Amino acid sequence: MSLYKWGGFSNHKVFVGINNFKILWTDMNFIRSLQNSVLLIVAVTIITMTLAVLFASILTREKMKGNSFFRVIFYIPNILSIVVIAGIFSAVYDPTTGLLNNMLALFNLDHLQKMWLGDQKIAIYSIGGALVWQAIGYYMVMYMAGIASIPESFYEASALEGAGRIRQFFDITLPLIWNNIRTTLTFFIISTINLSFLLVQAMTGGGPDGATEVFLSYMYKQAYTNSSYGYGMAIGVVIFLFSFALSAIISRVTKRDILEY
Amino acid sequence: MRKKALLTGLTVLLSLSLIACQSGESKKTDSKGGKATDEKQTLHVAALESAYGKDMWTKVAEAYQEANPKVKVELTVDKNLEEVISPNMKAGNYPDVVLLATGRKLALTETLIKDKALEDITDVFDKNVYGENVKVKDKLVPGFTDTLATNPYNDGKTYMAPMFYSPTGLFYNAALFKEKGWEVPKTWDEMWALGDQAKKEGISLFTYPTAGYFDAFFYSLLLEAGGPDFYNKAMRYEDGIWESPEATKVFNIVGKLAKYTAPTTVANANDKDFTKNQQLILDNKALFMPNGTWVVGEMKDAPRAKGFEWGMTALPAIDNGGDRYAFTFFEQMWIPSQAKNKDAAKDFLTFVYSDKAAEIFAESGAIQPIEGISSKLSGDNKLFYSIYDNGAKAGMGGFAATEAVEGVNMGDTLFRTVDSIVSGDKTVKQWQAAVEKASDQLRKALK
Repeated sequence: MSLYKWGGFSNHKVFVGINNFKILWTDMNFIRSLQNSVLLIVAVTIITMTLAVLFASILTREKMKGNSFFRVIFYIPNILSIVVIAGIFSAVYDPTTGLLNNMLALFNLDHLQKMWLGDQKIAIYSIGGALVWQAIGYYMVMYMAGIASIPESFYEASALEGAGRIRQFFDITLPLIWNNIRTTLTFFIISTINLSFLLVQAMTGGGPDGATEVFLSYMYKQAYTNSSYGYGMAIGVVIFLFSFALSAIISRVTKRDILEY
Repeated sequence: MRKKALLTGLTVLLSLSLIACQSGESKKTDSKGGKATDEKQTLHVAALESAYGKDMWTKVAEAYQEANPKVKVELTVDKNLEEVISPNMKAGNYPDVVLLATGRKLALTETLIKDKALEDITDVFDKNVYGENVKVKDKLVPGFTDTLATNPYNDGKTYMAPMFYSPTGLFYNAALFKEKGWEVPKTWDEMWALGDQAKKEGISLFTYPTAGYFDAFFYSLLLEAGGPDFYNKAMRYEDGIWESPEATKVFNIVGKLAKYTAPTTVANANDKDFTKNQQLILDNKALFMPNGTWVVGEMKDAPRAKGFEWGMTALPAIDNGGDRYAFTFFEQMWIPSQAKNKDAAKDFLTFVYSDKAAEIFAESGAIQPIEGISSKLSGDNKLFYSIYDNGAKAGMGGFAATEAVEGVNMGDTLFRTVDSIVSGDKTVKQWQAAVEKASDQLRKALK
């Protein structure tokens, strides 16, 4: 279908070869949506992964009060529907009554107050923030499972030899859950692509003026609103190849010998 | 043991209900085929459930079945009509008559226009209204069937019938103006003066729900700047039209208005939060917003300033004594060219203009462009629909239909950029150049 010019309904299909793809490379709006998507994939993955590993190791390794309470708190965003999350975050980001701006005002940081969803330079990061918030719990649980299966004796032995907590984290925890992390990286790519579309649709609709358009929302817009179904399908093909290639590359780059224990 | 029995029971129940659903669905699709059963013809009518509600369609369908016992009307009324009917349409099951306006997000109507998949209904207007001795065209308010919104290919043939119309304009709190002793501005110069005055009191001059609401606003401004001829040229993407002095005037007015826009507008200008912008008017934090008559129903439960009273005015004139326009939106009703019962569909199309049907629609607040209907109105609606009696001219019709051009969307370029103008990310010059460029690209694809 990506090789046709077609509105999606009639029998009037014209074969145009790779013309749709040619247009794609000169379409600045598409390039912008691609940039936004890549930014989200990279930023959201790095931040979520770091925080999730960190929280997971703290919650499993450290004995502290309210352990299970925090587990529940972190996991809750995950059971919420994305539309609910969009609702919560548009309340948080609201310029006048929003939680974020009012918190800043409370700490006398008025100069940091922003139009979180109105400023074109910030809006995409605001979306990213919501994505991180909703994803942390899920990955944290995955890493916690990995960490819990590491035998306690490793930590005891290293403690006897004088390794501190940070050393333990980098030399025992991280290498032993490396396989988990690799698997989740693929999840990150897939879920960021999907969820960013849902969140953008529900929160900003790609606005202001296309500043938060991600490639799936752009594809939707072209295929339906702009009646160019064939072109939308061409965008779909590019997204598929892109995510496939990205997963392959990441999987190759992060390949390590699996440590057995 | 009891648990197990309960579980088994539940499983059986669930699977039964699944099977039941399935068979129900298959029955439905059978009847949608539109085959004549028991000599009765089944007419499949699909209509968008908008702010006017669902009931009026049920009543109209009943009234038609009463008037024409040979026809059985099957109704599909839904808020997301596109999502309900388009899967069936892709499978070849087309509804016979559809009420769905252009300008919706999924753009089903536009897609069908671009694909030339609508039935020519020019002859409907020469027919008698079903059950009455008047021709349809004699009942309609003149002008409604000469626009690009009904004749998208500009070839004198009508493909869409004008249905519920709604004047648009600038909405404001009439009580606030009375209280402060301000006059509603008649020219843009007065508008700016009022803007400076209001600023001193901490009130912004302007806000807008989303940038999409600039369509009617922009069309009216174009009409004010250059008159109907100029407007039609712009709508047909004439070369250089967007860089003409008239168009430049329009762009500059919007550019200036951007500076008077409430600061939080852009942050809330999306489909989720747009009511927060509308709330600014109710809270006396902004003076004007472009909107349509539906806003009254949309905000009816919202809290508001004491004594709040809706007011609506046409756009201020560009020059003193110049024309003032209030754009009219109307929803369209059409017959897909793949419908199976076209003749029955056309009969039904005439019936919706009958006194009986018009009365049912008007009860729900849906007003058709029928002569003399404004005398039947009451309340806020009376005020809104009388805007044309007070000297404002009506603008109608949007852009001419083109082939789909990949990656080029006039609506986005022309209206959504307003967000960038207000936030200062783009200049008016860049905006104007982008619109002219889009117009160049679309001109080649004109039908």
